[in-house]
Parts: sequence; C-alpha cells; structure tokens
Amino acid sequence: MGRYIIKRLLQGIPLLFFISIILFVLMMNMGDPVATMGGRRVTRASDYERLRRQLGLDKPIYTQYLYWLIGNDWTKTDVDGDGVAETPGTRRGVLRGDFGVSLVSRKPVLQVIGERLPNTLILMLASEFVIIVGSLLVGVYSALRQYSALDHIITALSFIGYSMPIFFIALLSMYIFGVLFKRWGLPYLPTVGMFDPQAGKTTAQVLWHMVLPVLSISIISFAAYSRYIRSTMLEVLGQDYIRTARAKGLPRREVVYVHALKNASLPIVTVVGLDLPLLLGGAVVTERIFAWPGMGRLFLDHVSRSDLPVVMGILMMIATAVVVFQILTDIVYAWLDPRIRYEK
Amino acid sequence: MNAKRFVLTFVTAMVIFGFILTACGPKPVPEGPTVEETQAAPVQPGDGGRKVATLIYTQEFDNLAPLYTDMWFAWTTWQMFLHWAWEFDEKNEPFPRLVTEIPSQENGGLSADGRTLTMKLRDDIKWSDGTPVTADDFVFTWEMAVSPNNTVTSTYPYDKIESVTAPDPQTVVVTFAEPFAPWLATLWHGILPAHILRPVYEAEGTIDNAEWIKTPKVGCGPYLLDTWESGSYARFVRNENYWGSRPILDEIFIRFVPDDASQVAALQAGDADLGTFIAYSDIPTLQQAGLNIVTEPSGYNEWMFFLVNDQVGHPALTDVNVRKAIALSIDREAINRDLLLGLTKPPASFWDAMPFYNDPPLQNYPYDPEEAKRLLDAAGWVDSDGDGVRDKDGIPLELDYGTTIREIRQDVQAVVQQQLAQVGIKVNLYSVEADVYFASYGEEGPAATGQYDIQQWSDGPLFPDADLYYWLCSEIPSDEYPAGSNWFYLCDEELDSLIQLQATQVNIKERQQTISKINQLFYDKVYILGLWQDPDIYAVNPRLKNVKFSGVTMFFNIGEWDLAQ
Amino acid sequence: MLVLLFIYAFGGALIFPESYANYTDTSLRLSPPSARHPFGTDTIGRDVLARTIYGGQISLIIGLLAVSIESLVGILVGALAGYYGGFLDSLLMRITEAMLNIPEIFLLIVMAKFFGGRIPEIHLLGRVFSGSVIVIVVIIGLTSWMYLARIVRAEFLSLKENEFVLAARATGTSNFEIIFRHILPNSIAPIIVSATLGVANAILAEAYISFLGLGVQPPTATWGNMLDGANNYLESAPWLWFFPGLLILLTVLSINFLGDGLRDALDPHSRAV
Repeated sequence: MGRYIIKRLLQGIPLLFFISIILFVLMMNMGDPVATMGGRRVTRASDYERLRRQLGLDKPIYTQYLYWLIGNDWTKTDVDGDGVAETPGTRRGVLRGDFGVSLVSRKPVLQVIGERLPNTLILMLASEFVIIVGSLLVGVYSALRQYSALDHIITALSFIGYSMPIFFIALLSMYIFGVLFKRWGLPYLPTVGMFDPQAGKTTAQVLWHMVLPVLSISIISFAAYSRYIRSTMLEVLGQDYIRTARAKGLPRREVVYVHALKNASLPIVTVVGLDLPLLLGGAVVTERIFAWPGMGRLFLDHVSRSDLPVVMGILMMIATAVVVFQILTDIVYAWLDPRIRYEK
Repeated sequence: MNAKRFVLTFVTAMVIFGFILTACGPKPVPEGPTVEETQAAPVQPGDGGRKVATLIYTQEFDNLAPLYTDMWFAWTTWQMFLHWAWEFDEKNEPFPRLVTEIPSQENGGLSADGRTLTMKLRDDIKWSDGTPVTADDFVFTWEMAVSPNNTVTSTYPYDKIESVTAPDPQTVVVTFAEPFAPWLATLWHGILPAHILRPVYEAEGTIDNAEWIKTPKVGCGPYLLDTWESGSYARFVRNENYWGSRPILDEIFIRFVPDDASQVAALQAGDADLGTFIAYSDIPTLQQAGLNIVTEPSGYNEWMFFLVNDQVGHPALTDVNVRKAIALSIDREAINRDLLLGLTKPPASFWDAMPFYNDPPLQNYPYDPEEAKRLLDAAGWVDSDGDGVRDKDGIPLELDYGTTIREIRQDVQAVVQQQLAQVGIKVNLYSVEADVYFASYGEEGPAATGQYDIQQWSDGPLFPDADLYYWLCSEIPSDEYPAGSNWFYLCDEELDSLIQLQATQVNIKERQQTISKINQLFYDKVYILGLWQDPDIYAVNPRLKNVKFSGVTMFFNIGEWDLAQ
Repeated sequence: MLVLLFIYAFGGALIFPESYANYTDTSLRLSPPSARHPFGTDTIGRDVLARTIYGGQISLIIGLLAVSIESLVGILVGALAGYYGGFLDSLLMRITEAMLNIPEIFLLIVMAKFFGGRIPEIHLLGRVFSGSVIVIVVIIGLTSWMYLARIVRAEFLSLKENEFVLAARATGTSNFEIIFRHILPNSIAPIIVSATLGVANAILAEAYISFLGLGVQPPTATWGNMLDGANNYLESAPWLWFFPGLLILLTVLSINFLGDGLRDALDPHSRAV
C-alpha cells in the first residue's frame, strides 16, 4: 500500500509539470498585462517598455517559465534598461513556494489567493454538504419506491436539473426569491454579496446570503448525484446478500441503512472525491452572478487583466488538488472495500 | 417499514442535519478565522452617535499606493489619506493644501523661463504617526518615481523633472528639463512617507515589496486605511492625529459592488450613501428613490477615432469628405436621447469639459444623411455594382470598426452599423476585451497595429490640464518604434507643431490660443467624432451633507462631509 | 421536442429575415412583450423573438460543429493510444489526464482569451458569422474530447485482441485499415451516445462562456450572449434573460433525453447512471 501511494505520487509530478507548461504557453499569449495599467488611459510608451523589462515580460517564453518555476535569484536581470544585467533576481520560483507577485495588486500571489480561498470554501463545502445529504435521501427513497409516482416525478425533475444552465437557475431564483418576494411583501432573500455591510460580517449574515448560491449550485449536481445513488442502490438491493439478510429476518430498516447503503455508498465516494478539488476553483459563473468574493471571481478579474502569476497560481492549485484527491480517493476506496488490493 | 415511517426518518434526519449545519455555522472552515466574527461591532449609522458613510465603488482598487497604480478608483481614494500638494475644487480650480500658496510667476514660485518651481510647505503638516511632512518627502517621492529599481506604473510627469531639492525642510525646488506646461495638473498627486520607505529602499534596493506599498496605513489625510478585505470592502477611519480641522465622519466604508443592478438596489434601499459610475439607464430609478444625481465633467468623452493613413487604414478615410459624410450619417442625437436617456449630448470638442479652451465653442455636425450621400457621390464613392455598398476604383467602402467589450459600446456599434448602411457604407463590427484591444504593437494589439479603420473608446485631455500628446507624427508605431502611441496613424504637420508648441507654453493665454487652433483643426478635418459625453456620475443620498465633487477627484473636501441623523 | 426546436431555429428564419433580427430601433428599447414583439425588445430595440431564432441557429450550429471537432480529436487520440499502446499510449493518456485535471470552464476562459479577436469574420452560405463563432467552436472542441478519447481507447483495447482483428492482421491488412475499417465500426455505439450528449454540453459551454462576455460577440446573436448583462435587467426586463435561458434549458434537456434513449437502444448492456 505504501509503495503504491509513493508510486502514484511520483506519477503525479510529471503530470503537473506537463499541465504547467500547457497553461503557461496558453497564458503567455492571452493578453497584455501592461496594456491596462494606464487606468483610463492607454499606457504611455516609455512606461510600457520599462514595465515589460522590469516585470520580465520581455524575456523569451522559456526563460519566463524557468523563472516562474525555479526563480531568478541565481542570475541577474537588467532593470534599468542599459542592456547590462546588473540586479540580482529576487524570485524564488514555484518549486520553492514562491508563486510570484500579482501584476495588478503587487501583492504576493499566495496572499491574494489566501484572501479569497475561505470564502469559496465556505460556499462550496456548504453546497457539497447539501448535495450529498439531499441526494442520499432522495436517491435512497426513489430506489426503495422504484416506479412509484414520486419516483417518476423525482426522476423527471432531476433530469431537468441536470440539463439546467446554472445561470438560468441562478437568475430565476434571484428573480423569484429576491425580486418577486420583495414585491409581494414576503420575507425575501438577498441576491448579491456575502453580507450586508450595515449588519457586518456576522455568521447569520453569511448564512443568509449563502442560501441562493448554495441552492443554485446544489440543484445542478444534486440531480446527477441522486440518479447515481438511486441506480447503485437498486443494484445493491438486488444482490444475494441483501436477500439473505432479509431472509434471515433482519429488520428492513437495518438491511437498507446498514448493509445496502454502506455498499451503495462506495461508488459515491469516488464521485465525491473527484468533485471535491474542483470546489477550490469555486463556481465561476455562480460567483459572478451572486457577486460572491471567492476564487471564481478572482480568476475572472485577473484573467481580464492577464495577470499571469495569479491565474497560474489558481489553476496550478486546482490541478494539484485534483491529483492529490485522485490518490486519496483510491486509498479510501481500497480501505472501504476489502476486495480491492493495490498489490503493485 | 412503511412510507410514513420513512418520511418520518427523512424529516428527522433533515432536522438533525439542520442543527448540525447551524452548529457548524460559525466555523465551517477551520483555517478561515478572518472571515468570521472579526467584525464584531456591526456598522450601524448613528450607532452610539458614530457617523459612518457607506460608499459604493463599482470596481475594487487594485493597489492603494501612489506611483503603483493608475486606476481611477485608487487615484481618487488617495485624497482620503494622502493629500496632494494642491487640490482642485468643485470648479476645478486649484487651491493650496500642503503648500502655503500655489506657485505662480506673480508670487515668484515659477521662474520666468518656466523651468524652476519653488514650493513653500506649511510648517504644521504631519503624518499620522506624528512625523512632520517635510520637503524631504517630496524629494524622496521624485527619487522613487524615477528609480529604475521600482516597478512604478508610470514615471510621468516625474520624468520631465531634472532635479528636486530641499534647501530647507519647508522648501521644495523643482527644476524641469524644459518648460513643462501641465505641471499644475499632474505633479504631486500623493507623496510617499520617506521616513517609512527610505529604510526599506536602502535595505532592499526597491520599495516594490514594502509593507506600506501593499497596505498604506500611515497617511497625512483626514482618514486612514483600517481594513481592506479583498473582493468585499475597505474601511477608512478618522485620522485622530490629523493636522487640519477634525474630520466630521467617524468612518468611511467602501463596498466593492461590481454589478450595476446591485449598486442601484443598495442605493435605493438606503444601504449606501454614495454610488459611483452610475449607468445612464439607472438614473431615473435613482431619482425616483430620492437620490441626488451629480454629473461632473471629467474631461472624458466617448470618441470615434478615424484611421487616417493611406498605407494602414482604408483609403476612403484619407478623404476629409468621407469622414464628414460619416459624421453626417450617424444620428448621434438619437443615440444620446434613446440609449443614454437624453442625459448627455454628443461632444463637439475634445475640450468639451473645458470651455476655456473650447473657445469659440464648436457646433456639432448635424444628422443629415442626404448631405452625406451627396458628399460621398462627389468624392467618387458610388455604388457601381449595385450591391448596396459604395465603391471606388474597385474598392468597396467597407470599414472595420472595433471597440472593447462593454454593453453600451456594442449597442452603439450596432446602431451605427445600421445607420451607415443606409448611406451605403458597410461596417464590420469587432469587440474584444480591453487588455487584448489595448495590447501593444509588439503583442499585435489590434488598436496599436491599426487593424480597425474606426476605433472607439473614452478619452480626453490630461484633465484638468489641456495637454494631449499622442497625435504626433513621431509617435506612429512601426517595427523600428513599436512603443509608438499614435494609434490613429495620423500625421498632420500643422497639428504636430501645434501640439508640441502648447506643451511648452507656460503662459496660459498663449496656450489657450494654440489649443483653440488645434480644436478647430480637429473639427474641420473630422479626425475624431464625439459620440457622447462621459462625465463622472454620482448618486448621493441626501442625508450625506457637504458633499462636493471636483471633476478631478471625488474627495477634495472629504473631511467636511457629514451625515444628517 | 428537439425537432420542434430545430424547426423553431431554422424554420423561424423563413418568417423573419436576418436583418430584422439585427434591426435596431432605439426608440423602442426595452419594451415588454407585446403583440408586435412577443418576447419584447432588447437594450437597443431589437426584437428578442427574432434574435432567439437566429441565436438558436448559431447555438445549435456551434453545438454540432464543436462535437465534430471533439469527436475527431477524441477518436483519433483514443484510437491511436488504444491500438498502438506502449509509449504513444502513455504520452497521449498523460496529455488527456493533464487536460482533464483542469476544470473545463477555466480552460475555456483561458482559451477564449488566447484566440479572442484574432479571427476575422467569415462568409458562409450567404451569411456573415463573426470570427468569434469559429473561435468558440474550436475551443469547445479542444476542451471536451478527453472523455471520448478514454471511451474509444477502452473499446480499442478490448477489441484489438479479438479474433477478427487478429485475422485481419494475419492477412496483412494495413494498420490504418484495421483501425478505421474493422475496429472503429464495432465501437461506434458508445461514440454516438457520447457525441449526442456532447452536443448538449457544447451548447451549455457556449452559453457559459458567452454569458461571461468572452464568447460570440455581438451583433451575432446566440442564446448565450443574449444573456450577457442579464444581471442588470433582472428586475426591470426579465424577458431579456428568460426566453433565451428557457430555450437553452429545453434544448439541452431534449438532447439529454435523446442521448439517454440512444444509450438504451444501442447499448443494452450499459446502464443509465
């Protein structure tokens, strides 16, 4: 087992290198970070040349990638524009934990991301929680009551939810619970932001503002999850050991919740494990619509100004999380299901 | 087990999970203590007599340190915690702030040749940590702006300065390399605290990574930065150590609200006292809700720029009559009336917001498609092949028209396309993101390389100065000079010499005459065409008192703002 | 249902000419649904009904074209990896994995900026498409082929040891022919199912990216870019976002149903999940 984990980790490293190169090349040609630095004016020509030189943007792409990866403190750069490299570099590179400095805010990338990460995690963990709990309940129910009227309705609804573009459900729910409820004099939900500044950033406020975004994110994934649970549950319920357990006269509740659900939840672990790292990126569209100050909006803001260090930081963080979670999922899976052994 | 029991279990489980959710609520994320409960005291207006004004910014400032950003929202916020040497009032007139009087030739502050500026500082000004503000801070600010080790966003206008010296702590002497007319409008927008940053510069060789540059908490203005939470808000509190008269408000709370609809809702509900960059379409709603709308000309107008160059642009555009025909066939009044709700007018002059220079005032070209057709016919552009598009010598009158992604711009593009089609001019529309649009010549930016025959964005003189710099022949970009900023590829000898002349005319009367000539030239040759005025629009809740805006910045009298209880 | 939507998008074009969909009348801006404009008008007075028709055409065309690219890349990568195995397989699968490791929406945004504004508009079938349509088709195709590649590879791995393949190889049939004549036709069922569902995904992807303002640029309408800026009209003009949103939902829904049905019909072994 230990050797298996090490092997998987070693396989992950070249993969991440590979991803970083693809992304770097894409991003280098994405837009010009210096172009928007002039505020409401076009950046002045003299400043333009100087900034590109100082920020190292005039270097060939492989040099820039190298500096990004391992830093430039081992070499000297030309910052005053006389053609002589005289100033020692200060960047330490991603491999030594330095993701660079945002070209826009001049803050370290890790600080920029760190400020937004908690906001995204709050939103996404709450959504994931609602999704798992809700889809377990609904999935199990429709499996037990297969072909009942309610099962059909649930199946139909989940199909619609599955096909729903997230902005449509978000706009609809904002319109109904925010706008129409307000118009009808009912208690209405806030549509944007993370808290009401008049009330301050209290727990109650954040929870209250979370309702609509969580609802929107949940409905989409909820549909897929509950269908998945329903079918695995149906499969398990049809198997011999369940029939044996039932024949032995075990109470049905125990059969369903202890024996069947435990085994049916195995494949769900995989799905959840593979979904979790994506939560880091947040829901780009959802955060944009609900003006939630998370990673998704950070990504959009910085992409629009071609802020390569921040964008690379976010994407590499997600990619790393995906790799790690894949390994974790495999381990948990093996641990839950004694039939699986990773011998190699 | 029957259905009823199941439902019961279901409901119980839900309730339990509900409790768990509530219990987990305060700390759903262990590593995020900053998110929860840090704002223990709710911000209540009038709470215990505290006066808190809430402002909305439609964009978050990217950075708050002078020299390190050129973003408007950062620029205007500096005045809260960093005074300018002199500031501009609601009439855009300068008044002294850190200096005892504004240097002029009359008081001997400005030498006769316009190259030496002598500033006398007040002796009572100090930073919030008690250190006096002295001439040394000015010298240091200039040094930092031009130091090659600092990645400042712009060295302008400090790169026009030959030296800054401090003969004594209250005297600053600035020497320019050559007479520099725009000094009054562009110098000393916020100075750096030398006592904090110089040790950093000496230790690290740059101030790029200084703590003060990331979060400038020490200032010399009426308010100080207290907290700044990325993506949400920034909070400024009264500077208890302020050297001027005591600021009235206790706190200024700035919310970052990126979308217009939320800003309008917050203003309507009274959750915010001041809104910025109000969309024209929202003005009636806000007025109905009892908010005061303040329109402050800031020198910016939305322009169409024609690419007048027979090598790069469309050959038709080198003919002044074709450009005039385009001006006559766009119903700019209707665009302003319908799309901008009649709240603006099409500007006729680049100095529309500066009547002093728009003298005599220009009259806009009318909407007259028949005259436009006649002009085009006379210029030889006729529809010879009957495809609805005029042509000449086998070249169809088909123009590329590009702008950035913004709803109002794309809407106007569509309207213009239709109106020009009616006089037989075909227009292909392009819209790309701003950082792609304004990318440099070297990066093959579409504007810099002259890919669009007609370009559109919001521009103006260096308000409150009248300077304009990028129509010079020498600024046309090329492979040899990729940094060129003349993206209109226009080279008009007469215009060229006038622009160079006005930048050095320290005598205001002489400069006015030069600029009036430029103004008339732009108009007669139709090099640019004004679409709509682009003033800064604010919505102010009437309970916010003593609010005055300048077209230059919004906070010149922030210390006097008050809240009615 | 799907047929109805196709009729809506393509048949509707017989009733309204395209110029009508782009016809602006600024004095009529933002008028609510009425007899003359059943879906209302947008911010510059264009008829929303006509725009949903033409937008639908573009959205559906984007969906179909993107899936063609997706299938082409996916089948090629999957087939080569599965058939030849070894180093080529490892390399191609690493690329596939690398692409899969970044959420599609991030890739789409980065790619949209990469290609944005660089493709001129094209004339096809007497109509003008803004270059951004091509960009969107290509980037959706290039960011979605990975699952298909995996499916095809798995099929190839299991089929290449089959007797009929071994027999073909023994008689000296070229690799090319074996791949495209013998193995591919036998693995067509899962490819069809996957491609059908891919159309739905492509339409959604176009909608997301256009919603973020990075997709197809006006004046060419798509259901996605009609929703751009909808936030600002959430309250004042709900018809602006409701109709295009609803049409996307209906289209995706019916394609998903079709895909599900195809799966049951073509591939009785697989179970719907």
